[in-house]
Amino acid sequence: MFQNFRLSMAWLHTWFGLVLGFVLIVVFFFGAMSVFDREIDRWSIPASRFEPQPMPSFDKLLRPIFEDMQPLEPARAAMRDHVNGPLPDKFTVPSSWGAYTTHRDPVLSLFVGYEVPNAKLPETNIFALRTVDPRNGTALPDDRLKVGSGFFYPLHYSLTLEWKNLGYWIVGFAALMMLVGLVTGVVMHRKLFRELFTFRPNKSTQRSMLDMHNLTGVVALPFHFFFAFTGLVIFAGIYFPVAHTQLEPLHEQHEVIDAQKTGLPHDRAGVAAPIASVDAMVAEAQRRWAAKGMAGDVGFLSLVHVGDRNGYVSVYRAGTDRIALTGEGIHFKASTGELLREDPPPTVVGRINEFLTGLHLQHFRHWLLRWLYVLGGLLGCVCIATGFLFFVEKRKRQHAKQHSNGARLVDALAVTTVTGMLIAALGIMIANRLLPDVMPAGWPWRGDMEQYCFWGVWALAMAHAFWRTAPVAEGHLAPAWREQCLAIAVLAVVAPVLNWITTGDHLLRTIGNGYWPVAGIDLFMLTSAGIALLAARKLKQRVAVDAHANVTRAEVNHA
Amino acid sequence: MLDSLMLLAALLVCAAGMGWFALSMDVHWEQVRGKAPHPRALVKTLRVLGAAALFVSLVLCLAVDSASMAVLVWLMAVAGAAVAIAFTLTWRARALSVLVFWAGPARR
Repeated sequence: MFQNFRLSMAWLHTWFGLVLGFVLIVVFFFGAMSVFDREIDRWSIPASRFEPQPMPSFDKLLRPIFEDMQPLEPARAAMRDHVNGPLPDKFTVPSSWGAYTTHRDPVLSLFVGYEVPNAKLPETNIFALRTVDPRNGTALPDDRLKVGSGFFYPLHYSLTLEWKNLGYWIVGFAALMMLVGLVTGVVMHRKLFRELFTFRPNKSTQRSMLDMHNLTGVVALPFHFFFAFTGLVIFAGIYFPVAHTQLEPLHEQHEVIDAQKTGLPHDRAGVAAPIASVDAMVAEAQRRWAAKGMAGDVGFLSLVHVGDRNGYVSVYRAGTDRIALTGEGIHFKASTGELLREDPPPTVVGRINEFLTGLHLQHFRHWLLRWLYVLGGLLGCVCIATGFLFFVEKRKRQHAKQHSNGARLVDALAVTTVTGMLIAALGIMIANRLLPDVMPAGWPWRGDMEQYCFWGVWALAMAHAFWRTAPVAEGHLAPAWREQCLAIAVLAVVAPVLNWITTGDHLLRTIGNGYWPVAGIDLFMLTSAGIALLAARKLKQRVAVDAHANVTRAEVNHA
Repeated sequence: MLDSLMLLAALLVCAAGMGWFALSMDVHWEQVRGKAPHPRALVKTLRVLGAAALFVSLVLCLAVDSASMAVLVWLMAVAGAAVAIAFTLTWRARALSVLVFWAGPARR
């Protein structure tokens, strides 16, 4: 089919890179934003702007909250198709309670899983979620959106396409093909090391775009490879769902045997039992960690088979000081507080898995590494964006001669996914500050409205991109790029200003108080505004050069 | 505090290392040093210096964090350093002369 191996690799790289690049740039960008998801949450929910808190008292504070939690309407609506008959008004048999926190969380996320009576499949659970202020137990309103961990983060791994898990599959396929893209890219690139440090902005656009594409691809190659790979590892259970398809009986049997081995009951006994002091169990767990020289905070606290004689409490240490998310699980009998089991050190395979997933999910405390991850993610975005631009530059003049719209189409989609995506991201931040505190009756929830604004703004940016890329069809530079850069520059100033007006948290105050989660987001947006302005100016110069070149070319043709 | 300083040092040493690697290449040597001679012995020295610097940077990372975390910090620091050096070569190439301060003035 192709003359040689290199050409076939180039074909693969070009076409898969082009099509999946539109997905990957979204994954990369919102992945980079998710590195600071908790901080974006602080920005978007002003009531949560205080210092991170340790796990609060279970007995005094958490228990009554857990007992009060019931699934909300969206969860109930999603469950209706999985049940024979109607759903009960109130769920009464909790299968698990859980609370997860990290060293960056001022507010605490809680979940309760309830057994669903008359469910079509066994072991069906319905979940109630709530976020509380751990200092006093006040619940955050349910209609609020944590823009970072509740929207940018799911966008990163599932594009928020929940229907039949479609989003996970698209992102997974894109990640798999990205690994292929990295390998084919290395094969195509003849001067991997010789041009490692080469970026020549003054050469032709095509050449300088390729320079930048190679530079950002190669220097962060380990990052690109590891993040695509570990992302696939994290969702391996979705991509290879054998545990709940072909091997379901084996999986069930394994769970039962595992329960016998660990002494942690697999099923409820069906006999009610009280819950002993969980605070005492947490204190005992912390004492045991300290005795091992691993004193630490509680990261994850869970109760299984709540209120049953077989109920147990698991206390996990937060992975603040290492890659693994949590660990050193210690389990107690819920009714008596008797120690059931102390998890042994993980096996080698377990350790590798913890490392691979932990390095991607990064709940550790390391601000430098966090920023370096943002850098890696943004380098990935630049690599993909310059890939698009190279594709367009290489073809646009030829397409113009052939009266083909191919280059224009790609350029419009590139504008949509590069600058348009930034405009949409700023759009949700601005909507977050502008929407009324509580939406009027009959309107969707505030958090939903914010998401609609995001998609609406993105659709507008896309329409603009398709409209203002017309000159590409004649071989010129699209004005859409410059105009959207200007839009970014304006919006990225508007958002911090709105934050100031609506919350009173201007930069002088947040920096003065050392409240970096909010100050950092504001500064990040202001920096983006500066870069966008610079880009717009450069693009204007390009237009002038382009026009001049065209005039000269026309004169030459006339002569 | 000491940890932050050590990590800062790791970043700087890493950048110097990538700078030395770049200077061991003819094209970049010319960007930085103009027509100053670039003998093979110097090229070798620069490569050794580059490798040593990357190694020192790794050691600094290991001194601050556990090995699993230090490796990640170091790999990302190398990427960051490479970008920083590449952009310096593009816009402020002569600034890298400090990395070969002993080799006399540049010739243009």
